[in-house]
Amino acid sequence: MTVKTEERHAQLELCIPYVFGRLNPGNRKQFEAHLATGCEQCRAELSGLYEAIALMPLLLRQETPPSGVRQRLLGRISSKRPEQPRSERPQQQQQQREKPATPSLRPERPWYLYASIIIGILLIISLIIFVNQLVGTTGTQEKKISELQNELQRDQEMVGILQAERVEMIPLAGVVPGAGMYGKVIWDPVKRNALLQTSNLPAEPPGVQYQLWILKEKKYYSVGIFDVTAEKPNTLTMMSLPVGDTKEIEEFSVTAEPKGGSSQPTGVMRLRTVTK
Amino acid sequence: MPRLLFHPVLLRFIKFTGLSSLSISSKKGNVVQQSASNQRQQYDREDAELLKRIQRADQRALSSLYDRYAPVLYPLGLRMTGSHELAEDLLQDVFVHVWEKSGSYAQHNGSVYAWLTGVCRAKAMDKVRSANQRRKGSEGEGGSSRGSSESSQSTAAVETIVTLKGITEEVRNSLKSLSKLELRLLELSYYEGQSQSDLARMLRIPLGTIKAKMRRGIQKLRQVVAPEAR
Repeated sequence: MTVKTEERHAQLELCIPYVFGRLNPGNRKQFEAHLATGCEQCRAELSGLYEAIALMPLLLRQETPPSGVRQRLLGRISSKRPEQPRSERPQQQQQQREKPATPSLRPERPWYLYASIIIGILLIISLIIFVNQLVGTTGTQEKKISELQNELQRDQEMVGILQAERVEMIPLAGVVPGAGMYGKVIWDPVKRNALLQTSNLPAEPPGVQYQLWILKEKKYYSVGIFDVTAEKPNTLTMMSLPVGDTKEIEEFSVTAEPKGGSSQPTGVMRLRTVTK
Repeated sequence: MPRLLFHPVLLRFIKFTGLSSLSISSKKGNVVQQSASNQRQQYDREDAELLKRIQRADQRALSSLYDRYAPVLYPLGLRMTGSHELAEDLLQDVFVHVWEKSGSYAQHNGSVYAWLTGVCRAKAMDKVRSANQRRKGSEGEGGSSRGSSESSQSTAAVETIVTLKGITEEVRNSLKSLSKLELRLLELSYYEGQSQSDLARMLRIPLGTIKAKMRRGIQKLRQVVAPEAR
């Protein structure tokens, strides 16, 4: 205990030369190591000594420095920034990471922010393309479904004709012998629904459609038009007849007419049958 | 003179006295009573606030600190370097240091004023050392002219003490109690950077006497700073 007291006293003896900056390097290093141990007595002693010797300049006659000194000083510090206390440095460094390294009115953004923006834009573009394709596909599918529904409805109507209690069938023969063209008309006299079947009619050229006629009392009546293509040389077409009894019909015939049909037969006759 | 009484440096000095109250009379007979203790706390708060603003790169705060302490630090630099030019450079260096290293100030080591005088003194010692080395390089081992400057500056210091006598009896008594030798030793140590061994050799006084006189002189100064330590 006595030794500790003597050591503490010895350290206090070093305080005065220390504040005057006159400790030799060895003693200075030793004394600063002692201060680093947190000796409150020496710290308090040093603080009091610093305050005391700071009175010395007050004993001098005061003199205001030339005004130019202040201007030169402000010029020197204009391009420098103060350092922060050590305890605040980590926080400051963190703030500096969030703030621009160089004086700039626009805040600097990290690279990953730009990457995120680009990825976001690409995702939005991809989503738009996907939705667009989906809408297109849906439209195509809806169109196809509509076609299938129409086809199904037509098939049901055809089946309805065939299932009728009374059905009549009139065969049609090619006007040009040996061409293999033939056909038939099957119809329900009650409902006047007819089913025209043709085979081996030549594909119609552009601007031309086939038209079915009936001859009644020496006068032709249009029943309907239908198409024949090279891919589909055989046709099955639903039509409505203007008459119900076969006795009223003198003849069925198929002619090639301008697209949209004609009021009277004008083109080449392909099929014909005589009912009476 | 009345304006001088309210100069920040003198108020600072009055603050150091630690008196519970202080009366200052002007020629017109006005009496201003200030609580030295409150004033001291006020100054510490203001100085601390100025340093915080300086850490935030507030140049106006540095200007305020400059206005407050340059009239003391400039004569200190002049006293130590003996050159107006060097003293002006030194004053700039001190406040550039304050600007750049204000974060290094530790409140538990003393007041801002004590820190400033410490920085000023250390930088002045460096300048004097560099100037002496240059002088030695150009003039060989010729003697220094600081002796005459030293004596004249000591006279100035005494005159300053005389001037301060009229301000406060407490301060006068405290400074008056410094013997000529104690004041001389403190000046040589503080302004010249002489070690106690150097002083013993130079003044041909035993080292133990030098240490005792310096300790006593500093103790008297500390009584001015903290009268409760008496």
